[in-house]
Amino acid sequence: MLWENFDKNEISILIMLILAFIVLGLLPKRFPRNITLLSLLWGLSSGMLFDFTIGGGLMDVYKVNDLQRYELFDLLYYLLFTPFSYFFIYFYDTLGINKKTFIWYVVGWSIVGLIVNWLLTWLDIIQFQNGYVLPYSFSVFLIIQTITGVYFELIKSRQLS
Amino acid sequence: MGFSIFFFIAFLITSLFIVMKKKLSIVDSTFIYLLILVITINVSWIVIEELKLIKVTKEAMNYTAFILTRSVITPMILVVQLNLIHKYKMKSRSFWITVASIAILLLLRVLSIQFDILTYQNWNLGFDAIYFLILHLVAFYSHQFFQKLSYREVNEL
Repeated sequence: MLWENFDKNEISILIMLILAFIVLGLLPKRFPRNITLLSLLWGLSSGMLFDFTIGGGLMDVYKVNDLQRYELFDLLYYLLFTPFSYFFIYFYDTLGINKKTFIWYVVGWSIVGLIVNWLLTWLDIIQFQNGYVLPYSFSVFLIIQTITGVYFELIKSRQLS
Repeated sequence: MGFSIFFFIAFLITSLFIVMKKKLSIVDSTFIYLLILVITINVSWIVIEELKLIKVTKEAMNYTAFILTRSVITPMILVVQLNLIHKYKMKSRSFWITVASIAILLLLRVLSIQFDILTYQNWNLGFDAIYFLILHLVAFYSHQFFQKLSYREVNEL
């Protein structure tokens, strides 16, 4: 199915996708192509992993868009994760995040994630259910962003050695 | 019981990857892992939740075993397989490594059925064999593409 009703949530996803990819295109190139592609895939896969593990299936704590079923705009919603993982790594590198600033950077991005999460519920893109509340997402963002930061450090150390 | 076995297999394949002599870089291996993860998540969702061709257990521990197979074991087997075929460059060896990899994935499917983690509705092992073969082809060719992407950039610089 493509979509149930083409309204607020579908239009919002399209606008956010276009804006996010425009910003991504405007940022000066910083990484080799393979790292850029990997950072985009990182966002898509981490978003899908959490959504299809806790968001659907046995736990089923939130609904994406209008239906419980998989629709085209669900896929576009997941694509929205791709530029954000790139931004995370991009600014991590640009700002020269180190051991002293790592925690603040991750916490800061987790708060941003929480605000975006709230915006997504306000726009009816996601709807929480089965007892799930917004603050729980903070833990999810902390986990994803800590792993992302640690992994980026690992790649940097491997490339320098 | 099912959970313990699948947890052990997840531990085994991850440990094997950590200790093995790797031919792929960490970036290449991660790319393949994530790509296969995205595919397995989507295919399993479509086959199980949308088309109802396979039924997955509602029992929590066995469901966790299913999640482990989908998100850890299957992508890691593909990453290990790709590392091995780049280690032994002979085509015949690559062929048998791929056959062994598909056979292991099929064996895990049989185990999932035995432990009532999965129940085939309108599905069979033949479809799984085709699916696993396609997964291997996707992993192989996407890795070639990914390597070319890096190589081309090095040449351009």
